[in-house]
Amino acid sequence: MKPAEIARPLGVFVIVIVVILAGSAVLGAVAGGDSGGPTDGQNVQGQSPEQFQPESVNPDVDPETGEISVDADDGTKKILIDTQHSNAFDRDDIEPVVEALAEAGHTVDFTPSGTSDSGGFGSSSGGYNATLQEYDALLVINPTEGFTESERAGLQTYTDNDGRVVVLGEPTQTGLSGGGLLPSLSTVSFGANDLTTQYGARMGAEALYNLDDSANDNGFKSIYAAPESTSSLSEGVDTITLENPGYIVRTGESDATVLYTAADGTKTLETRRNGTFATVVRNDNLVFVSDSDFIDQSEVYDADNEVFVSNLLDFLTSGDKPDDVPETSTEGTPGGF
Amino acid sequence: MAASSESTSATTVLYVVVVVVAVLVATVLAPVVYSATTGSGDSEGPSVAVLTLRGGTSGANVAAISEDLRQARNNDSIEAVVMRIDSPGGAVTSSEEFYLAMNRTAAEMPVVTYVEGYAASGGYFGIAPSDAIYVKPSSLVGSVGVVATLPSALEAQNAQVRNALRTGPDKQLQTIDSVREELELLQNAFVGTVMEHRGDELTLSRTEVSSADTYRGTEAVQNGFADEIGTLESAIQRAASEADGIEDDSYNVYYKEPPSITASIILAEGDVESTNGSIVYVDQGDEEAGTDFVPPVRYYAVYGIPESAVENEEVVTNETG
Repeated sequence: MKPAEIARPLGVFVIVIVVILAGSAVLGAVAGGDSGGPTDGQNVQGQSPEQFQPESVNPDVDPETGEISVDADDGTKKILIDTQHSNAFDRDDIEPVVEALAEAGHTVDFTPSGTSDSGGFGSSSGGYNATLQEYDALLVINPTEGFTESERAGLQTYTDNDGRVVVLGEPTQTGLSGGGLLPSLSTVSFGANDLTTQYGARMGAEALYNLDDSANDNGFKSIYAAPESTSSLSEGVDTITLENPGYIVRTGESDATVLYTAADGTKTLETRRNGTFATVVRNDNLVFVSDSDFIDQSEVYDADNEVFVSNLLDFLTSGDKPDDVPETSTEGTPGGF
Repeated sequence: MAASSESTSATTVLYVVVVVVAVLVATVLAPVVYSATTGSGDSEGPSVAVLTLRGGTSGANVAAISEDLRQARNNDSIEAVVMRIDSPGGAVTSSEEFYLAMNRTAAEMPVVTYVEGYAASGGYFGIAPSDAIYVKPSSLVGSVGVVATLPSALEAQNAQVRNALRTGPDKQLQTIDSVREELELLQNAFVGTVMEHRGDELTLSRTEVSSADTYRGTEAVQNGFADEIGTLESAIQRAASEADGIEDDSYNVYYKEPPSITASIILAEGDVESTNGSIVYVDQGDEEAGTDFVPPVRYYAVYGIPESAVENEEVVTNETG
């Protein structure tokens, strides 16, 4: 075979391929318009939206400063913290309060739980009143069971004779109970309405909320409250933050004075009603607050809470109750057994 | 002579074979050459791309829809995007990604959303930059809020902390207070986004929006969470009418298939790489593979409760939102 016999067909082969490929290249270039298309870099464009900037996003956090101070101007007092009424609180949460009282020289005791530790104590209301007699003041935190008739009568006598009582409560709410792997939902209500009604006030039907960031402490249910009137309990306080508050309703022709009201724009959680909601009231020697979490370790230094708590503790320790009140006999307090 | 004629016919056969083989070879190579010279430009007429997000704004789903959006932006023939959505939201982080992808796209071309079912919480976060939002009466939008999983995760972490030596008091420790602050921060970004993009249309104040209520389509059109009652095709028409590169009805509609469920499971489980040009995107999915640690608290922009909560009666609280 001569070289030409190989070269010619080979030449034709190459020419045909080149012509077809060149044709498709021309077609592609014509149809494709721009040559090579945009580079990746041309399509990369970052963004930093204005509403994502720190000044728009980062929340204001209340400084947790200040300290709880209790004076002992009226001598050292004995304070009882109630645990007899299924009180829903943890003792370790209120350690700052107990510590402040102890630091000022006051004595703090918890009522023994149950009936087993019964040194004069127990389910009998006579026992309760007998114990009260030993103390100058009573702090009741989040009771979920009611006070018996004789206990209420005993407390009335107690406050009538300058015994000091502070009741901290929470509105009816649904919470987790049981814990562990299978917690269940349960509804917990304030138990001491019978007692507070005796003083012209009761817990309202609903919790409160406020969506305005300037009226809550990073949570719509954690709302601010401010003094409504000047009193020893509002001294030095601009704003307190209540963790999970309800509102207090004054009953009938109540003598109770409203000391604090929730921030403007606060509404009821279920029915979304607007209003001016009382959160702290006082009637003579009883103070009633519609939140019980503000004295917890995690909340007690928020806003002016530590000043308010100091004022409350001063209120508790400034009474002057005679030693024989309330009476422990069954006189005037029938039943209870 | 006979030999010459034989030789000629043999030569002819040879050339025929050569030409046929050459044409075959060229035919195989031609598309390669053609596409190389056409580059990434698409020669078709102007199009409206219909992208679909059905399902939560999970990391995998958002990665897929973000890729679709990116392709739409980079395709010269696509002049507008219609986002067809049915999503109750999901993790805050991926919901923000969805928003950023939509925002980036809306800055380049008209984006019109059709709410097929839900565009709630994280789903609404994403569609907020749309030029228009179309709904039907049963569409559900809103739920502008964030929830955190509590409190068992916190308890688990705080228990874990007792089993560890730490270098600082805040290491590995979160409190209810700190979770709330983070919730507030994430919510500020979310509400801020809705107000930024929908503020002019909304009849509700920022505070009212942050109550996180949901609205059906007809309510949403009245309060400004949505713009029009309509169908998917209403949205396509609107998108086409707003696109600079489309005149009258001379456009095509390109339906991008939504990612299949199987695909999203695979996406969630493994690393995914997608390439475009020389940029390689690697997606780690929802879970970081190869570690035994998980965030103690997870934040969701979501409407609804996890299936596991219903099945196992575990409760996720939204009380701090």
